[in-house]
Amino acid sequence: MLTRTALRLTVMAFVMMFALVHVGNALGQDNLQKYFNDTACKVKATADPSQKRAILNDGLQNMSKALNRVESLRLVSKDDRAGIDRLKVTLQERQNELAGNNGYDRVPDGRLNAFSDFVVQDMEQADRTITISVVTLLLIIIIVILVT
Amino acid sequence: MKSPPHRFLASATHAYSMLFGGVGCVVLALFLSSCSSIRPARHAISPGEESALPLRFSIICIIHGDSGYLYHDTRGNAFRADEETLARAKRVAERNTEAEVFIFHERHRRHFLLFFPVRDGTFYYYRHGRLLAEESYWRDKGRSRFDPEVELYDRFRAKEQPQLVRLFLYFGHEIPEFDGAGYDASYSDRTFTIDDLADGLRRITRNSTKFDLIVLSTCFSGTPHTIAALSPYARYIIASPDNLHLSYFDLYPLERLDVGLPDGDVSAFAKKFARNAFDRLEENIQTAITVAVYDVDRVRGFLDSVDSVYDDALTTLNGKTPASIEHCDCAEDPAYVLPGMSEGVDVFYRPPRFGRSKHTRSHSGWECSRLMK
Repeated sequence: MLTRTALRLTVMAFVMMFALVHVGNALGQDNLQKYFNDTACKVKATADPSQKRAILNDGLQNMSKALNRVESLRLVSKDDRAGIDRLKVTLQERQNELAGNNGYDRVPDGRLNAFSDFVVQDMEQADRTITISVVTLLLIIIIVILVT
Repeated sequence: MKSPPHRFLASATHAYSMLFGGVGCVVLALFLSSCSSIRPARHAISPGEESALPLRFSIICIIHGDSGYLYHDTRGNAFRADEETLARAKRVAERNTEAEVFIFHERHRRHFLLFFPVRDGTFYYYRHGRLLAEESYWRDKGRSRFDPEVELYDRFRAKEQPQLVRLFLYFGHEIPEFDGAGYDASYSDRTFTIDDLADGLRRITRNSTKFDLIVLSTCFSGTPHTIAALSPYARYIIASPDNLHLSYFDLYPLERLDVGLPDGDVSAFAKKFARNAFDRLEENIQTAITVAVYDVDRVRGFLDSVDSVYDDALTTLNGKTPASIEHCDCAEDPAYVLPGMSEGVDVFYRPPRFGRSKHTRSHSGWECSRLMK
């Protein structure tokens, strides 16, 4: 079972790495944004505020876990580590604001949809703050798929 | 005489040779066509059918699409910022019957059959609201970044241009002020900085005329260095000093410039454009919104007084990893809080609805960079 999972992960990694030769960094970043957009869609699909909050928190937490796992791999460059660290800080800030920790006001129940839009849109700015290489981005996406 | 098996083998060999030869010719033809330089324009209408109306406006749009430009609306629908902007720019071109419009779409480099590169720039030329030419071109031809675009502009622009109101718009990610590596996903060995854009504008204006209005639809473009670099080529500049969502500035005010800019009052038009862009973004965007209009003549004093301070900061930041650099309002640094800081700058600002900055009340209109603490 473990061998099959490892084999599947290896095959997925090679396929995606081959694909990225031709489509470049855009693919990795696009998948990162799609992940958060999917989370936001799930938040809006439910009317229950506690479910909304749980979906948002799980979405942020799973991405943080994936970042931690990728960061622990030795093949991640120093620049990528800095980019991952920055993204982790951002995600932690979002979780803090969601829960009302660390000096934040807790996001009110009626503002959870708007907060999910904020999380998505913060990743979709015309800047260059996602400074993580395409290989690392794809590894993050692979791992977050396996974690969820 | 050859035996039947020999005859069969000979005919099969001949057939396979013909087949492989044909395939080889096709592949060779495809390979050669992918290597050729700029093709002649595809003319949508013949030049004789053009309107006799005089031209009053000239609009140049450069739309960068060679990077991650995916965004989603609040319903979860996915869009590509460059494709959406291209559609809107074409609409602007079609609706302005007294304008010539140049649209350059810089796309991600793709390969036919995984090996043969395909032209990665598309140029559209409109005059009097009609598409006169559409051409694909190679973005990496020439020594300077905008060589292909400048060549196309020179080839197609109306030669008799008495009193045109000239506009330039750039859409893309933040234009770096140093380094600039990796801006184009397809060209890892190329760099692009604001100095490259300034050089392109210099060549288009031929150092003799200015654009009446430059619009930078990118993040963090309202910095002392960027505005100073472009100031020789513009009378007014619209930029976003802070973050800008990938849905960019709304282009609706550019449709029907004969109505929206009837008397050539570019200052009033620029403020109207910026206000409209701000209002459209405010409808759905939860992140920060900052749109600033810079009167180039009036901001010159402030730019001169902070020039060396800002250059020193850039020198310090050059070589640092991008993840270690953060942006901030220049007003947070006492070195920039000088008399005249707000002279000539009109700012439309709304803080983000969430996050640490949600209680920030204003923005100076000038963005700086610093090392993260």
